[in-house]
Amino acid sequence: MIDPTEPARIDNPIVAIEGVSKLYGSVAAVRDVTLHVRRGEVLGLLGPNGSGKTTLLRMLTGYLSPTSGRLSVAGYDTERQRMEARRRIGYVPESLPLYSHMRVGEFLRFMARLRGLDSAAAEAAIAEVAGQVALGDRLAAPIRTLSRGYRQRVAIGQALVHRPDILVLDEPTNGLDPRQIIETRNFIRGLAGWRTVIMSSHILGEVEKIADRVAILLQGRLLSVQAMADTPDLEALFLSLT
Amino acid sequence: MSALGVLLRKELHATFTSPIAYSVAAVFLLVTGYTFSLTLFFTKVANLTYIFHQMYVLLILLVPVLTMRAFAEERRADTLELLLTAPVHEVWIVLAKFLAALVLVTCLLVASGAYAVVLGLYGEPDWAPIYGGYLALFLLACLLVSIGTLTSSLTENQVVAATCSLGTCLMLWFADSAAYMVPAPLDAVAINLSLIGHFTTFVSGSLFLSDAGYYLTLSLLALFLATRVVTDR
Repeated sequence: MIDPTEPARIDNPIVAIEGVSKLYGSVAAVRDVTLHVRRGEVLGLLGPNGSGKTTLLRMLTGYLSPTSGRLSVAGYDTERQRMEARRRIGYVPESLPLYSHMRVGEFLRFMARLRGLDSAAAEAAIAEVAGQVALGDRLAAPIRTLSRGYRQRVAIGQALVHRPDILVLDEPTNGLDPRQIIETRNFIRGLAGWRTVIMSSHILGEVEKIADRVAILLQGRLLSVQAMADTPDLEALFLSLT
Repeated sequence: MSALGVLLRKELHATFTSPIAYSVAAVFLLVTGYTFSLTLFFTKVANLTYIFHQMYVLLILLVPVLTMRAFAEERRADTLELLLTAPVHEVWIVLAKFLAALVLVTCLLVASGAYAVVLGLYGEPDWAPIYGGYLALFLLACLLVSIGTLTSSLTENQVVAATCSLGTCLMLWFADSAAYMVPAPLDAVAINLSLIGHFTTFVSGSLFLSDAGYYLTLSLLALFLATRVVTDR
């Protein structure tokens, strides 16, 4: 097994996960994970279903509290300075939760205002993200009428509407058709450099094509952190570890 | 606009576009209107005491239906994850849901004020019990909505939320019957826990701070517990 400690640590990380564990009773969903993320990089969390990827992302976004260890986002502790930390994160959960009774523009406006943007700033931000995720012609559409692909765009739009430093995506290509997968992949790659992106996936090819670095999780443990440039054969690495 | 304002606006929109709100309003106003007309024609007495007691029962039965969606629906649709990862204190989320349901119930009470207006136009009612009755109903609504919000925060199943809320309210209603079975000083506790005991004094036109304190204390306790449930993850 590769020692994850050294490659997982870097200088001046925008996200620092330090010895984090999450227990549900006696069951450990995440065990003693230490992982740092650089500003502007795309980090892929790779692992089979049930490996702790979603739990780790949920702790990072503040939805779950760690049983032990600490997480910080842009220098803010996700527990003790949770509001500051949350302001710096945009989050797209795997299930794409949206308010079906709202229209797209109304939903984006609600999320922008909830994150502290005033009315004028919210309108400007909505226009910007609508252009980014190609939702311009659907702002008046009721969310319940949207296809999975458009729901994905709305979910990404709400995560970007407050211009967060970090975008957290849980299985972003799940349930999309091949064209939508390519579009989503290109969109995430386009964010690299000016947004830090942390995305989870159980699909090797996705991580291979999108991420700058890959962190491999199995049964809640971090097995390896590798730069994609140093990983010519991710499949072989994954099989050797798992 | 503050986070509470943004959340409240969203909750009010969800509440007032829901068919549940309109069906509850229709049942409430139909039943109370029918009883008001019947009572007035038969007794020819200008008071609302009977109607207030009927509204008391109707609120206990109907408020759980209004509040069952509050958190249960958010949990079922996973949208609670969006709210709880936004930079918003959990207490605002709970308060917004509480206030939105309370606004709807208050609208029902205001609409039922037409009965008092009719009495005022065509008779000479004693206004003290009427004011007291509406105050009691408002305080009762605060308590019922907060209990409903609490039970909804505990589950993602709306029916379970409504059933638990109804059960809790019924237990509070009949709490004083337990006084016959428990020794002192627990019997006094049982009597003072009773919903109806604190309601009838208002309707008779007597205002006691202790009665208002009962409703407000239990409401705050339920809202505090709901906030703890939502926060504890």
